[in-house]
Amino acid sequence: MISELLDIFSKYGIDLVLAFILTLELTFLSFSIGFVGGIIIAVLRSSIAKPFRSLLTLFIEIVRGTPMIVQLFFVYYTLPVLGIKLDSFTASLIALGLNSAAYQSEYLRTAINSIPREQWEAAYSLGLSSFSTVINVVIPQALRIAIPSLTNELIYLLKFSSIAYFVALPELIYTAKWIASKTFAYMQIYIVIALFYTAVSMILSEIVTRIEKKVSIPGLTIKVS
Amino acid sequence: MNVLLKAINIHKYFGKQHVLKGVDLEVEEGKTVVIIGPSGSGKSTLLRCLNLLIKPDKGTILFNGMDITRGKINIHRVRQEIGFVFQSYNLFTHLTAIDNVMLGLVKVKKMDKSMARKIAEEALISVGITEDLWKKYPAQLSGGQQQRVAIARAIAMSPKLLLLDEPTSALDPELTVEVLNVLEKLSEKKMTMIIVTHELGFAMRVADEVIFMEDGRIVEKGPPERILLAPEKERTKIFVSKLMELYRIDRRYK
Repeated sequence: MISELLDIFSKYGIDLVLAFILTLELTFLSFSIGFVGGIIIAVLRSSIAKPFRSLLTLFIEIVRGTPMIVQLFFVYYTLPVLGIKLDSFTASLIALGLNSAAYQSEYLRTAINSIPREQWEAAYSLGLSSFSTVINVVIPQALRIAIPSLTNELIYLLKFSSIAYFVALPELIYTAKWIASKTFAYMQIYIVIALFYTAVSMILSEIVTRIEKKVSIPGLTIKVS
Repeated sequence: MNVLLKAINIHKYFGKQHVLKGVDLEVEEGKTVVIIGPSGSGKSTLLRCLNLLIKPDKGTILFNGMDITRGKINIHRVRQEIGFVFQSYNLFTHLTAIDNVMLGLVKVKKMDKSMARKIAEEALISVGITEDLWKKYPAQLSGGQQQRVAIARAIAMSPKLLLLDEPTSALDPELTVEVLNVLEKLSEKKMTMIIVTHELGFAMRVADEVIFMEDGRIVEKGPPERILLAPEKERTKIFVSKLMELYRIDRRYK
């Protein structure tokens, strides 16, 4: 089995490495889009007028209420009908990014809601506007509380990125399937891929744990209800 | 004397509960007004109405001659000139002591950092917070230190009026003295203040006027000697004597 694997690696190693890079790219870029989008949605939802708020709520409900594969197919197959043609990477990125924005905004909203009312009052008493209060007082505290759920989101995205398989993006799963169908070493290849995913998620949690320690507020124990 | 704040017939409802039932209040510039009264009498609500943290349902508040309860008033602008100190300090937990004081200067007054730092340092020193504590986070400070930082945060904005909602109620006696000394100094410097407190000794020494509130109304007001030592209304008498009893040291124990 080992020699067989070495054989496969010497032949398809470069494809696997490229696929691995593509998976990581997709994960991190869609997480970043989701992070920025999530903050924007969360901030808007806690500071703008009702009609806009319900529009954002509708977006979140749609994203949460439909399978991710439907969202990906919508972006990849439906948008071209409207004249927007996207390659498989961009389509996957947009679908995963928007999906993640909805989820991340919810994690942030929960965190924002756990910031005591008194913190808002103290900021208002200094003359800060609602927007400035959210940006300078609420978000910095809420982000720290949201770190564990955001870590989970990052790890989910790593695994969810595999749905790009369905729009023929040569990420890890797609490439693994392709190699396996050529070599018939299905089990070996999929074990290797599984190890890849596991190793990356372990490394990611470790990195985030360190970040969490670094940004934790001295002396403060955060209670998450 | 110039009247800085005038509240006329303030009413506030929380649902069906009538919390403020027509409160009139007048504070002259440079004066210290102390509000006493049992819990639930509407003292905190009144204070929060004055800087519009709570919007009164009826009534008018004139601040510096301007009606802040009506029309196109920029609430945030008004609040810059009214400092507020909370019972539970409410320092921003993610910022150091000095950053807590600087936030309003930088984000609201748009000062550059070095200028803001200078003012913040002066404010912290004036409340007795020494340099070794400036970089500490609220959770690393004692209650008395936190409350003094909170006072520094309020006065650094150089407000025209300072509202204090039971600033020492969460503190033990020694720390209470720390904070009261700071307030006494502010009063001597003619900072206009409205303080909700149960510290009668402090009220006696520092207040220009004491107001006794109960059940959403002002029962009696006047100079501290009169309200605290010779109140006219029966209700005030009972409340004050209860508080006096609480703080009395009986000679028998000597």
